Amino acid sequence: MTHRTSTSSRHLNLSDIGVNVLLWGYAAIVLIPLLLVVSNALRPTREIFKNPMGLPTSISFDSFVKAWGQANFNVYFVNSLMITVASVLLATSVAALAGYMLGRYTFTGSRFLSSFFLAGLMLPFRLAIVPLFLLLNKMGLIDNRMGLIFVYAATGIPFSIFILSSFFRQLPQELSEAARIDGAGEITIFGKIMLPLVRPALATVVVFQFVPLWNDFFFPLILLRSTNKWTLPVGMTRFFGEFQADWSTLFAGLIITTLPLVIIFLLATKQIIAGLTAGIGK
Amino acid sequence: MTASDLTKKAHKTRPRKKVQGVGSGAPAWGMIALFILPAFLLYSVFMVWPLFQSLYFSFFEFKGLVRGGFVGLRNFQELLTRYPLNEQLPKAFLHNVYFFIGTMLIQNSLGLLFARLLYVSRFGKRFLQSLYTMPYLISALVVGYLWSLMLNPLFGPINQVLKAVGLGAWARPWLGDPATALPVIILVNAWQWVGFPMLLFSAGLANIGEDLREAARIDGATSWKLFRHIEAPLLLPVIGIVTVLTFIGNFNAFGIVWAMGGVNGEPAGSTDVLGLVFYRTAFRGGIDAFGLASALAVLMFIFIFGVSMLMLGRFRRWEEDLQ
Amino acid sequence: MTRKSMLYKLVVLVVLLAALAGCSQAPAATKAPAPAKATEAPAKATEAPAKATEAPKKEEKEPVTLTVWSWRTEDEQAYNEIFDVYEAAHPGVTVEFVTFVNTDYNNILATGLTGEGGPDIAQLRAYGGLQPLTEAGQLVALDGKVETLANFTPGLLKGATGIKDGHVYGVPFGIQAVAAYYNKGIFDKLGLSEPKTWDEFINVLETLKKEGYIPLAAPAKDTWMLPIIHDAVGAPRYGGPEFEKKVLAGETDFMDPNYIASIQLVKDLQPYMADDVVGVGYQDSRTLFITERAAIFIGGSFEVGFWRDQAGDLDLDVFRVPPAPDSVLDSPLTPGWMDGSYGVNAQSDAQEEAIELVTWMGTPEFGQMFTEKIKQLSPLADTKPVDPLLQKFAKFYAETPTSYLHLVNFRYGDPSGSTLLGNGIQKMLLGDMTAEEVAKSVQDGVSQWFKPGQ
Repeated sequence: MTHRTSTSSRHLNLSDIGVNVLLWGYAAIVLIPLLLVVSNALRPTREIFKNPMGLPTSISFDSFVKAWGQANFNVYFVNSLMITVASVLLATSVAALAGYMLGRYTFTGSRFLSSFFLAGLMLPFRLAIVPLFLLLNKMGLIDNRMGLIFVYAATGIPFSIFILSSFFRQLPQELSEAARIDGAGEITIFGKIMLPLVRPALATVVVFQFVPLWNDFFFPLILLRSTNKWTLPVGMTRFFGEFQADWSTLFAGLIITTLPLVIIFLLATKQIIAGLTAGIGK
Repeated sequence: MTASDLTKKAHKTRPRKKVQGVGSGAPAWGMIALFILPAFLLYSVFMVWPLFQSLYFSFFEFKGLVRGGFVGLRNFQELLTRYPLNEQLPKAFLHNVYFFIGTMLIQNSLGLLFARLLYVSRFGKRFLQSLYTMPYLISALVVGYLWSLMLNPLFGPINQVLKAVGLGAWARPWLGDPATALPVIILVNAWQWVGFPMLLFSAGLANIGEDLREAARIDGATSWKLFRHIEAPLLLPVIGIVTVLTFIGNFNAFGIVWAMGGVNGEPAGSTDVLGLVFYRTAFRGGIDAFGLASALAVLMFIFIFGVSMLMLGRFRRWEEDLQ
Repeated sequence: MTRKSMLYKLVVLVVLLAALAGCSQAPAATKAPAPAKATEAPAKATEAPAKATEAPKKEEKEPVTLTVWSWRTEDEQAYNEIFDVYEAAHPGVTVEFVTFVNTDYNNILATGLTGEGGPDIAQLRAYGGLQPLTEAGQLVALDGKVETLANFTPGLLKGATGIKDGHVYGVPFGIQAVAAYYNKGIFDKLGLSEPKTWDEFINVLETLKKEGYIPLAAPAKDTWMLPIIHDAVGAPRYGGPEFEKKVLAGETDFMDPNYIASIQLVKDLQPYMADDVVGVGYQDSRTLFITERAAIFIGGSFEVGFWRDQAGDLDLDVFRVPPAPDSVLDSPLTPGWMDGSYGVNAQSDAQEEAIELVTWMGTPEFGQMFTEKIKQLSPLADTKPVDPLLQKFAKFYAETPTSYLHLVNFRYGDPSGSTLLGNGIQKMLLGDMTAEEVAKSVQDGVSQWFKPGQ
């Protein structure tokens, strides 16, 4: 496996330095606010009110303990995990199937279907909360995690089909032709040949669905009644009072909430990169 | 040919036009249904139907959540004539346009730049790629709060640092000055989302076969020429995706603007966007709020959908021209 | 191949997980208790049945759980303690207090009252905020059913009344009033005392500014605070209750020169606020006050709990802003409003018990606990606040009350007077609007729906 090295020998070191300054400078801009979250999670709320930007005078993990134990974050965590994983897997699976068909073939109605799926990206879905609520009510799915999963999966479909169909479209015709000559059926072509080739796109789609669903507080707040079914972001809204917020516990809760995303993200980028480097070999 | 041979070939060959019509290669209808039906059903029942109902609601009068009688286009008329909504709506629309232009110029250019710079192997590549995308993992509300704190004229470090290095004249209430508030929000939004175009562009760059690059290099092309003549055109499909998604995202923007500019798009409505107008209309409005908000959603939808389709068509044509 | 079979296995797993999630509908009894109650819940579960069997008198009552919804997440613990008292006196009844984030509470309540699984009792917004629920018929009319409503003045009950049908839908729980908090420590250090005239007031502000303090910790970034400040300094200028009567009758409107002048007062005070005050948010202004960088904070009685919790060591007191020159009324006023009420869900299946509970919330017993634990003013006449600051507020509001004009009267339609005024004042502080233009903005907006003489 060969990797290209950073610059050809023709380039001056100056541009190389410039590039590094840019890259690492931006890295600092990203890091500092993130460190602020960590720092404030370690300070009591009272200190945060008095001095929003200060460093912790003494490191205390009380907020984490409070968030996890007292504020039921352990329960919310499991709910978030269950709901988000199920929604993303469901949406990605059905979207991969549809995206493949729409991306690689034209048939009567395929243009319409593509636009149909795409349209879902364009509306503020918050508006539909009331008819959605009434619909789920009729189906008996209010206060039921399954209802939320279906809704979330449905909202992930437009984006996933959009991305996946585009990547499927890029794959050359000769692949499927050759496979067909070998006697493979459509499902086999899809599963054994095409799907592995869009692995970077799959990973991207998974990550970009996972994150907003994991962080969403609006739908569970309205569609889930029992507090023991709530997800992490909803749990965090309970730290917001009418006039004041329990900042320290909030930040600790935020770290608990974001950590899994970081893990998922690191795993997914590994997949994306693995997919990228697979093509570099000769 | 083995599968791995086919795989290698995929990365070396340029994409071709797809097969037209059902006869010469498109699968049987049963197969089509099998692949498409699951997504179609899930999406139609849980997303399309409620949305369709909302649009339908725009023609009715509402008292709270209870639907009243049919009122035709009155909700639309109210939307465009009621004070101060009639002033806020076009202003918000304009802000969304600025948002889109600003984001394309800053966020997506940076995303492309980072993708390109980090495509080659270098020290800290994985770390940097992950780090740049991290802000996306935090909810917009928190990002907004964090940056409001950083930019706070009384307590925030940014002004303190500016003063410390003698640039005190530049220190201003970033989010309290109508002239700087929206640009700042655009920058913060870019900070949060730059990983998204970066990853998509990285995936796109990977799709370009290595032989092409090698061939160009052998022919003596510099990095810049390589980028401009080979990589950029081949990235067109990804640029298309990124542009359309950015357009849709920007015109639906809500969370970050709410967090930094408040529900009224403060200061003085200079950061008001359509998403905020919609939120105010739907959830902070009067008794007839729901009908008005539905009408606004219809208008937004027509606009966003129409322009997106145009964009997509245009990009599709460009892609075909290149082939 | 492994990838495909892995995918299939995952899909099956997902479906199983989802089905599991769907089937595991927790029965009502295991609803996760609020954090503060975490240790009490098991005790309660065994207590309730015991009490049900030992209930001495009359018919055997089935154990009932009443759900109460609220937007006050900060009061969860306090309410649980209050309801413990009620439960002790009403065997067989368990009260579950559930809170939701303030900003989304209205939506949650609206959908909650529509379908099943909603609350039995809900905390209700006052005045204009109440109307969508009453007009949709989602609440039980309480007049005639709740005797303790007689404990409240008609003025207070107005905030819990549906204007279309005139019925009362809630039992008021709180009052808020507005005045100027000040840091007594700083005042004493500088030899300042509570101003009794406007000139003295300006003098105090000047002295504070000279000594390097920010005299007024006012936020202009969060526009909702601006009408509060306006009424606190300007109510006497435009004539308080008299003006209110005239406007409601249609004899004058917001273009009244006195009203415009009252708006101008806020602009006149701008030099005593922080620089670039439009960049100062609500939270910032409170931080300025508790870190003693600012000496005066004009705000509501709802701040008391916050000052005590976060800066309990500060020596604070409160005064009424003296009337400005040329004021219509020559004594200070205390703007105030009824904060909200507790009402009953029309779809509740425990209506009788719910009505009993809200009736109890109209008693001095509840009122006293409310003011002590939640540190806010109770609307019930016999209650005595314990906190000295609250006592002052109660005194002020009893002596010189006036309505916090827009909240009380001009939120019944869209656009609301409060929003227009807040946005207008912000623009005025930026220099984009004059006081007259602000008044015009309010008048134009409100006149689209407001019909005088109602």
